[in-house]
Amino acid sequence: MVKRKSDIFLGYVVVNMFVLALLLAHVFVEQRKASTHLAHGIRMVNDLQLTDLSLFTDARYTRHPSMADLNTAFQDHPLSLEHFPSGTLIAPPRHLRRNGLD
Amino acid sequence: MIELHHVTKIFNKGNANEFCAVDDVSLVIDPLVITVLKGPSGSGKTTVLSIIGAMTKPTEGRVYIHSREITSLPERFLTEIRRKTFGFIFQQFNLIKGITALENIMIPAYPTGEKYSFLKKRAMDLLDLLSLSGKATSKIEWLSGGEAQRVAIARALINNPEVVIADEPTAHLDTRLSREFIEVMAVLKNEGRTILIASHDPIIYSSPVVQRVVELRDGRAISEDHRS
Amino acid sequence: MVWIEKQRNILDFALSSLFRRWGKNLALIIVYTIIVFVLASIFFLTHSIKKEATIVLQGSPEIVVQRIVAGRHDLVPEGHSDQLRKIPGVLEVKGRLWGYYFDPATGANYTMVVTDASREKNGTITIGAGVARVAGVQKEDTIPFKSSGGTYTTLEVADIFPHQSELISSDLIEISEEDFRKLFSIPNGSYTDLTLRVRNKNELNVVADKIKRYLPDTRPILREEILRTYEAIFDWRGGLLVVILTGAILAFAIFAWDKASSLSFEEKKEIGILKAVGWETSEVIIMKSWEGITVSLTSFLLGIMCAYVHVFFGSFFLFTPVLKGWSVLYPHFKLIPFVDPYQVSALFFLTVAPYTAATIIPSWRAATIEPDSVMRL
Repeated sequence: MVKRKSDIFLGYVVVNMFVLALLLAHVFVEQRKASTHLAHGIRMVNDLQLTDLSLFTDARYTRHPSMADLNTAFQDHPLSLEHFPSGTLIAPPRHLRRNGLD
Repeated sequence: MIELHHVTKIFNKGNANEFCAVDDVSLVIDPLVITVLKGPSGSGKTTVLSIIGAMTKPTEGRVYIHSREITSLPERFLTEIRRKTFGFIFQQFNLIKGITALENIMIPAYPTGEKYSFLKKRAMDLLDLLSLSGKATSKIEWLSGGEAQRVAIARALINNPEVVIADEPTAHLDTRLSREFIEVMAVLKNEGRTILIASHDPIIYSSPVVQRVVELRDGRAISEDHRS
Repeated sequence: MVWIEKQRNILDFALSSLFRRWGKNLALIIVYTIIVFVLASIFFLTHSIKKEATIVLQGSPEIVVQRIVAGRHDLVPEGHSDQLRKIPGVLEVKGRLWGYYFDPATGANYTMVVTDASREKNGTITIGAGVARVAGVQKEDTIPFKSSGGTYTTLEVADIFPHQSELISSDLIEISEEDFRKLFSIPNGSYTDLTLRVRNKNELNVVADKIKRYLPDTRPILREEILRTYEAIFDWRGGLLVVILTGAILAFAIFAWDKASSLSFEEKKEIGILKAVGWETSEVIIMKSWEGITVSLTSFLLGIMCAYVHVFFGSFFLFTPVLKGWSVLYPHFKLIPFVDPYQVSALFFLTVAPYTAATIIPSWRAATIEPDSVMRL
């Protein structure tokens, strides 16, 4: 007996919603589990007096975007095109544009 | 039960290709009778059927079904009438390609919200009636002309209509199938339905089961012939 | 109940319709799913990194004071910290020593930092897991460092930072003050920058203003500015993301336009037949909506699920080349899932609404014609 098409589709939607619910549960569980990890992180940042994540280690201003000075963000030329790939992912921090002109 | 009062239908009114298909036709269709509209192509038969079946509104004149005027009804009500009162068999059959015979038959009843299993059973019963049960799950493209026509008939019957309307039903059929067709119509009439056929095929209009023939020419009704 | 049955019936027909052109519709679903997958992966990845950054960096210094000479960073001289201690409300001023060490052998940039813990431990370093990987060293191995004077200093790896902290510590080398100053020829009393603690958190801006007045050659950076930097990474205004988002929006638009711009002759005829057998205009529209919803919803659900698995179970492996860029040293880290419901809903509407609307629009006209025309086709 061939199943009715609309039943198949609605079944698919229900299964998907169920999986999404599981993933949502995963989000909550992982966040709960991570609270100690995050607390350690905060303490480590505090102890080591750090200001940035060690995410983009290709250039100075990508490694420490919050500490970057105006010049390095533009690499000596205001119109210099981004040549570090990570630079395309980060915009110059807002506080730069304010402070640099002080 | 169906009355046309001075119905006129002009297509493309106001344009250069203005064309008067039906000109001042007044007609009464009696219930429980097989009526044939006879005439050459271009005589306005299809348009008259169209107007009766609430598929288009006349430019002038009024149409009454069970003494209820339908010409001034909004589209929604016309659709309901079309669905409940009439079953249409088109000249080209107009079945939907790519889906099965069974599904084609059920389509007119989908919007009624009837339970699928009941609907399916009714459709299967109709196929049985027309000796087509084996073709239920075949796609339309694979059916022969006669089989396709029987599917078209079944589709017209799915909502259990009072009136069955057929437009040139035998245009693509041989003699044997044409005779079969008119016999099926007779069966339906005996079940308590009103049949209205437009045809210029002598097999149809000369058939003994036909009780009334109205002749149309150039959009006008020129003669009527009552037989018992 | 009747309404539900009606919808199910109409949905049946809509699915039949889609199935009839199953090749085309399958291709559509695949491409659509891929677009949703890419966008959702980007959303999940960037949002999670941002969240983790803004949480973890709450441990960063309240105020960092940099010295600017001719528009560039320069060392902070002796007297500056004393000046800052005079500012009312300042609890503590500490000098920070940190900098970059480029290792020509590996091509990697390390961040060297002097901390309270390591300050006195001459001759030894604690390194990040990324450093250990790139330099190929373990505990008790030694690494030679070239000083600015040209001589080499060998330092022993006392410890390696735990893997779980890679996002913070991957490229760090924790070194003693004496070793740091020797390596980079930084005179005693000079610091890379200064960090401050204030008594009243609400006074931060006031203190920052005072810093600028007391020491006009400095630039104070507040913790909130540090956090805001990380809220803005992967900003949609940033280079690569603009390109991807624009591309995705264009793709959605093209699909929708393709759907909206024309109805094939066959589709028109079918609508005519439906009208002729008694379907109302609204019912035809509902049918078309189901067609649109089926395709877009399928793609959305599949795309989102795959994106989640890709980012949080599969370590976003498709994006690592992009994140890595030209870095030689790259942190290995597992993301904590953070999901922004606004992003997900926006994606849902972007996926489902325009496509469904585009499926309905051309059918509208066809659905309102008089069924009579069907008789004549």
